[in-house]
Amino acid sequence: MDWELERSAGRLVARPRGRVDETTWEAFSQALTSAVRDAADAGGLPLVVDLSGLDYMSSRGLRALTMAKREAGEVVKITLAGPNAPMREILAISRYDKLFEVTDSLGSVA
Amino acid sequence: MLVRFWGTRGSLPVAPQALPVQAKIARALVAAGGRTFADEAEAAAFAEANLDFATYGSYGGATSCVEIEGGDDVFMVCDLGSGAREFGVNSLRRCAKGHARTWHIFLSHMHWDHIMGFPFFGPAFDPAATLIIHAGHPDAEAALRRQQEEISFPVPFDWLKAKISFVTHGRNEPFEVAGVTVTLIRQHHSHESYGFQFQRDGRSVIYSTDSEHKLDNMEAEAAFEAFFAGADLVICDTMYSLGDSVSLKQDWGHSSNIVAVDLCHAAEAKRLALFHHEPSYTDEDIQRMHAETVRYEELVRGDRPALEVLCAYDGLEVTV
Repeated sequence: MDWELERSAGRLVARPRGRVDETTWEAFSQALTSAVRDAADAGGLPLVVDLSGLDYMSSRGLRALTMAKREAGEVVKITLAGPNAPMREILAISRYDKLFEVTDSLGSVA
Repeated sequence: MLVRFWGTRGSLPVAPQALPVQAKIARALVAAGGRTFADEAEAAAFAEANLDFATYGSYGGATSCVEIEGGDDVFMVCDLGSGAREFGVNSLRRCAKGHARTWHIFLSHMHWDHIMGFPFFGPAFDPAATLIIHAGHPDAEAALRRQQEEISFPVPFDWLKAKISFVTHGRNEPFEVAGVTVTLIRQHHSHESYGFQFQRDGRSVIYSTDSEHKLDNMEAEAAFEAFFAGADLVICDTMYSLGDSVSLKQDWGHSSNIVAVDLCHAAEAKRLALFHHEPSYTDEDIQRMHAETVRYEELVRGDRPALEVLCAYDGLEVTV
């Protein structure tokens, strides 16, 4: 899994690429939690996780999202953007689409 | 070994009601499309071939009770939920045909839905029966005695006619029962629960219910992967969605279909049986959850061999 983080238009955008599974979830979790802290330190910037470069995410990645959400608390809003079709299915099957706001693309994040 | 499911529901028994049964009949009639059938057997064959399980069958509503057939002329059963009543009746029928009257009972924990069948377990009233109750909990006997006290039930424990004994086992200390090697693992649940591994002739069955896999305890996750390793069948608590298990129902002591698939993948298990179904789920809900789990397994399988995902129902038999 590759990871990029950039600040643009008053928000942080995280771009994981590849797969989040049992071999990569720890790196994903650490990077995501670190991004949440950066967003909080910057005064509570929204954090958008751009999922468009992600093939899929297993339960460990989903649970990393939960840890990040707990870290974010009320200070940082996390939005998931641009999931591909399998990733959108995984979010629906796990009911994570009920826990997170999910948008079709980065551009459609409010 | 043969695994026979007598009770697959979690928390509370569920009884069928008229409206869902009527809806199944209506769906079946629509599917028949005006066909005529010579007899019930022909109609049953059509139904089995053309209707989905939630219409033609039912997942049932008895709470946890799973028989593991494979010990040398003994009965082996995991938990005594309400499914134990039917299992007791059935096993006594087999005794009438010559089966030995010895039951080895493995209790995952003492919550009510896992022991509520014991007061109605026929073999306990049989003076020729021997019941050996295995548990990781030293208070198993106290739990079974307490639910038969007069305030809750009219037949006290001491009136039972069977020879009943209790054995407390340490975790990760394998022991032999009638040719089957049994090992326990401690699980995260209120007052703890224990999973069981049954091994014989190179085959293994895992019974792991009422087990929450916490987000922040990956060491425990690794222990479960090792416990499930190469299993031919993993019977796993899949009561909630992952989303529910990390939010509203966090710390309720249960797992999800998603985590069960990932554990089985990591353990290279061959088959997963979804188990301990949420009591508020209809047959259609459980069928949908099964289909979603099969799909999730496909999505995250990668280069692994396929994991077969079964959905346990009262009456299901699985040969291992």
